[in-house]
Amino acid sequence: MLSDTKILPGEFEYFQPQTLTDALALLAQWGSRAKVLAGGTDLIVKMKRLLVEPECLVSVQDLPELHGIRQEQLDGQPADEVAGGASLRRGGFETRPPDSAWQHALVIGAATPLSLVEKDPLVRLHYSALYEALRSMAAIAARNMGSIGGNLANASPAADTAPPLIVLDAVLRLASARGGRTAPVETFFRGPGFSLLDVDELIVEILLPPPRPQEGSAFLKLGRVSCDISKINAAAWFQREGGLCLDCRIAFGSVAPMPLRTPALENLLVGAEIGERLLHQVSSQAGAAIFPIDDVRSSSQYRRQVAPVLLEEALRTAWIRTGGVL
Amino acid sequence: MKKRTITLIVNGETFELTVVPNELLLNVLRDRLHLTGTKYGCGVGECGSCTVLLNGKATLACMTLVVSVDGKEITTVEGLGRYDALHPLQQAFLDHSAVQCGFCTPGVLVTAKALLDENPHPSEEEIRQYLRGNLCRCTGYTSIVRAIEAVSKEAGF
Amino acid sequence: MSDSSFLSIGTDTPRKDGVARVTGAEQYACDIDLPGMWIAVTLRSPHPHAKILSVDTAAACALGAVVLTADDVPEVYYNERGVSVPAKTYRDRLVLPRKARHVGEAILAVAAPTEELAFQALRAIKVEYQLLPPVLDAEQAMLPQSAPLYDRVFFGEDHLEVKANIACEREIHVGDAQAALASSDFVFEETFQLQRIYHHQMDTKTAVVKPEPDGGLTVWCTTQSIHNVRIQLGRIFGIPLSKINVKKTALGGSFGSSIQMNSVIPIAAALALKAKRPVKLVSSREDDAYDHTNYPGRIQLKVGVNRDMSITAAECHFLVDIGAHQIQAYPLLGSTAGWLVSLYHWKNVDYWAKAVYTNKVPACAMQGYGNPQMNFAVESMVEIIAERCGFDPIAFRLRNYVGTGDEFWGQGPTVRSIIKSCGVEESLRIGAEKIGWSERGQPSQKTGRLRRGIGLGRGFHTSGAGAPQPAEVIDYSSATVKINEDGSVDLMHPLMDLGGGANDAHAKIVAETLQVPMALVNLSPVDTRTTGYDVCTHASRGIYVGGAAALQAAREVKGKLLDFAGRLLNEFPEHLELVFDPQDQQTYVQTRSIQPETGLPATELPATELPATELPEARQLAAARQPPAARQPPAARQPPAARQPPAGSPAKRITLAEAAKMGMVNGWGTLIATGSLRQKNCPPSFVTNFIEVEVDTWTGVVRILRAVCLADCGTPINPALAAGQLEGSLARYGGYALGEATEHRPDTGALFCEGFITDNKIFTTCEMPREDNLQTYFTHTYEPSGPYGAKGLGEAAGNSVASAVANAVHNAIGLRFTSLPITPERILAALASKEGLPC
Repeated sequence: MLSDTKILPGEFEYFQPQTLTDALALLAQWGSRAKVLAGGTDLIVKMKRLLVEPECLVSVQDLPELHGIRQEQLDGQPADEVAGGASLRRGGFETRPPDSAWQHALVIGAATPLSLVEKDPLVRLHYSALYEALRSMAAIAARNMGSIGGNLANASPAADTAPPLIVLDAVLRLASARGGRTAPVETFFRGPGFSLLDVDELIVEILLPPPRPQEGSAFLKLGRVSCDISKINAAAWFQREGGLCLDCRIAFGSVAPMPLRTPALENLLVGAEIGERLLHQVSSQAGAAIFPIDDVRSSSQYRRQVAPVLLEEALRTAWIRTGGVL
Repeated sequence: MKKRTITLIVNGETFELTVVPNELLLNVLRDRLHLTGTKYGCGVGECGSCTVLLNGKATLACMTLVVSVDGKEITTVEGLGRYDALHPLQQAFLDHSAVQCGFCTPGVLVTAKALLDENPHPSEEEIRQYLRGNLCRCTGYTSIVRAIEAVSKEAGF
Repeated sequence: MSDSSFLSIGTDTPRKDGVARVTGAEQYACDIDLPGMWIAVTLRSPHPHAKILSVDTAAACALGAVVLTADDVPEVYYNERGVSVPAKTYRDRLVLPRKARHVGEAILAVAAPTEELAFQALRAIKVEYQLLPPVLDAEQAMLPQSAPLYDRVFFGEDHLEVKANIACEREIHVGDAQAALASSDFVFEETFQLQRIYHHQMDTKTAVVKPEPDGGLTVWCTTQSIHNVRIQLGRIFGIPLSKINVKKTALGGSFGSSIQMNSVIPIAAALALKAKRPVKLVSSREDDAYDHTNYPGRIQLKVGVNRDMSITAAECHFLVDIGAHQIQAYPLLGSTAGWLVSLYHWKNVDYWAKAVYTNKVPACAMQGYGNPQMNFAVESMVEIIAERCGFDPIAFRLRNYVGTGDEFWGQGPTVRSIIKSCGVEESLRIGAEKIGWSERGQPSQKTGRLRRGIGLGRGFHTSGAGAPQPAEVIDYSSATVKINEDGSVDLMHPLMDLGGGANDAHAKIVAETLQVPMALVNLSPVDTRTTGYDVCTHASRGIYVGGAAALQAAREVKGKLLDFAGRLLNEFPEHLELVFDPQDQQTYVQTRSIQPETGLPATELPATELPATELPEARQLAAARQPPAARQPPAARQPPAARQPPAGSPAKRITLAEAAKMGMVNGWGTLIATGSLRQKNCPPSFVTNFIEVEVDTWTGVVRILRAVCLADCGTPINPALAAGQLEGSLARYGGYALGEATEHRPDTGALFCEGFITDNKIFTTCEMPREDNLQTYFTHTYEPSGPYGAKGLGEAAGNSVASAVANAVHNAIGLRFTSLPITPERILAALASKEGLPC
């Protein structure tokens, strides 16, 4: 019961480094006393509420590496190896087909505002789930400020960009003064507010795999009103061959301590002939595949009730986007 | 905290200010530049009352460190148009009774300007989506949507 | 919409404060900035119920801050609301308490040169609490084992012991309800649960207080009554009212949350007196959310009905959880009885109501003041009865509604008057047509994922709190009108405009009376020093009472003007009239036309001899429209004789401006008058909502697709602004119906949203129906006792929205929700259980 959101009460030093090297040096120097300032839509609120009281803010607004969207050639190397980081840990399951080494990637600077990512024609064309998630998020002003990397780094279980990036198999390039590494978005989250990021580390870029033929994705969300954090969200991605599901990924937000991929559901679809009935059957098991809680936005029961509805709609839309029929 | 000198271009006028890192753009506009049209409504970016344009983009001034906008252009409701030369949106808000208590109005107007700059002929659905972050407790939004539509249908837009 | 019989009444004119509001120039209390002003912040209790044992302010003082604690404030118990007569007012609070009674209650305050320093000082303060068992449920609060919030409070000037945490009770009986229920063909019983919601006005509560050299105070603050603030501060701080001046500033929405003097105002005053300098205290949003809420409650309703569709009796138990302070629970219990008895002819009523203290945010009036709550219960019940008895829901309502000629309780049992105008039938007929009522179908016919339903709710609200006899409620207003030396007009009105345009309506009433264009009437900046008393902008009295005061003043000034003109034209004033000439856009004082039967000019009685509530124009217009008075479209209204060009020989005339100027030149004095009056009626405004919803039976999400909002507010003075009242009410009470809830955690007593609107959602642009699907309609009614036929509207506009939504949901999916809000979670749970009742 102690806050004053009219002001930013804490005192701190502010740095606006011009190079990534300088930024990483500052983070190394200040360690846990520093916070990275991107759009500020989460961090400033936390500071106003005295939930965090950093002694130093390192702004990433002038770092060119963290801004903009571009295509990058990867010469057939898997993204993680190109980035020179640790090998990808896939949490005990491997869904990427062996021949999927990326030729190139769509690289999104982590500090790119959500609204700019949303406006990118390639994102809209090839990464439907991400596009739909971005459009569903917050108010326009908050999307102009908030960055895609910030949405992830905040590690909220409700982060709307997380499930789409998980199903789209996106990979993060992280950097600290100690070096760089990569991590699939799927492995990035560790719990509410916790991620793989070390205190001295930044998300530099988000890599999206090259568009593949006969793939499709979709994202759906329920909030209390149109402008809200998700009560629950769901993202689905399919790769199709004829009437068969070649590959599939499903993820939910706001149903577990972190954004949640549900391999058990995917396994029911991979290799199967896709039809209305199967999608319904698989979706109907969604309630059992998630771990929701009661909170201020909704209830555990409700989330279990609507998870199948969201999932079925996401699966249907994603499948149709592959060119498949139902 | 280290003080620093920054430059703000607010409504076309250049200001040089000495600021500390924890000063918010909203409070600088209101308390130091006396541009009180921009309002504090919630302080956590949920109501839109503090919306200003930062280099043309709708931005929440209650969550913006003023040090981080050094050298940038800011437009507040005072910069849209003055009493003797109202912006078409301001006039339309009057004509369509889109103003009741008026507290959300500056933020709504600024957001509407950003919308029309970006998309001069939005559909009703696009207007509603673009303004969904600007809370108004008085009007029920209908008159606001009508006013923006009316402007978008005028010549020159 | 325009009315040819009036110059400007009923036409849409840009609001007087509009340009200031669209350019950011409007000044709200939070925009006030004074030289040497310090900024204040408050420390709020983290505990729901705790005695404050000690406060260590040394570190804060060392930072240069001024700290205000309970030791610094006068030991004066106050009730912040000044509407009830003092003898019927409960007083239970001090400027700062020695015991915290809810999470978020301000327990001390700090002022410093900057807000950052003030907050730093606040953080340095150490408070030692003795935790007391919290009382967080109204039912349990009354049990013997529950901790008492109060030992005693004041009622009037007397001490009153508080027993079982019951703040107050009321019991009202009409006829013999129990006997009537026993002999009814059918008896229905239901319990309705209404939630706690936050007003969510966009402007948080603010006070700027400047100590004056004469020992007085100048105050800029968020309030619905500047005069109440002055009286309250005078009483608490022992300062003569002549030395306290409360300035009228713009109000950023309120919805009832500033009827009372807000808690930050006396805190800022005490701090300013202690710091000996101007102090500004702006509530943060989180502080504001912990400062006020609507009245949540439980209504148990039992209704008797006969086969012939006649209602025989109602029995009602109303339990209200008022939170930690009694702001106006006692009048609420009475008023809510009125909302019950004045909706339908129950004939026999047993009403028991209790208001209970709990360790929660103090509840106060919110738009409708108990009426949305009672309306939800009754209008749900009406549908339940109609469905089970096979009555047509509209016919059933028409058979039993309270209308013209009936007695109406405008503010509880002591404020009664007879209804003279009523648009209920027209509303039901037109609304049913517009929404397609007859094609709405039955829930059993509806299948599939998305199901649509149409619901009806009808309600009303009072216009003011006046009655033929003085009652428990103070209700009068004052206004001053001055014709300036160039013919322009100043209107000085103390009544606060909450945003709906009441002050514009006042200006329009003055313009109409003086036959001048609206552009010539200026709303002067005023304060308590320069205005007569106005009780408060509440009870939808802004236009009906405030407008009547403006009319009275305008008529008196008109009399003086005619006197000046008479001297200049060498005519008796009673032979003169005011006429606006549209050709040269001038207002003339001219001789009246010659009456053929007498050969003399028509005369008008001096305005000052007329009671303002019995206006000749009103009578003429109302009479001209009988029968069927209520049905004629506005265009068919007959222009009053006064606006006809004089027949026969050319009139002697002089412009109003010339008359005003010559009055000054000749030293005849200023054309100024103050009206001050109490209305002797409280006519109800009737509003009917037809709402179509779509229920997604898979997600439980309900969307309002279409709405037809029909209002009988008599003459709509500002039609577009009046429509805005209906549209805004649909958003507020649509949210009340479908999602809003500002509830406390049952364990900690904190709000679930913790004061942040991030988790206290209200409707956005997207939850509202598309513009073509939202229709507003004004019935063709004329209230004889209102200024130019007008009644109130503000509150009536919201009262039946939630019941219409609930009835529409029932029509869509066949489930009856007896508690609000009807969230997707509750819809899915109900659909899953298929039980339906109770939800």
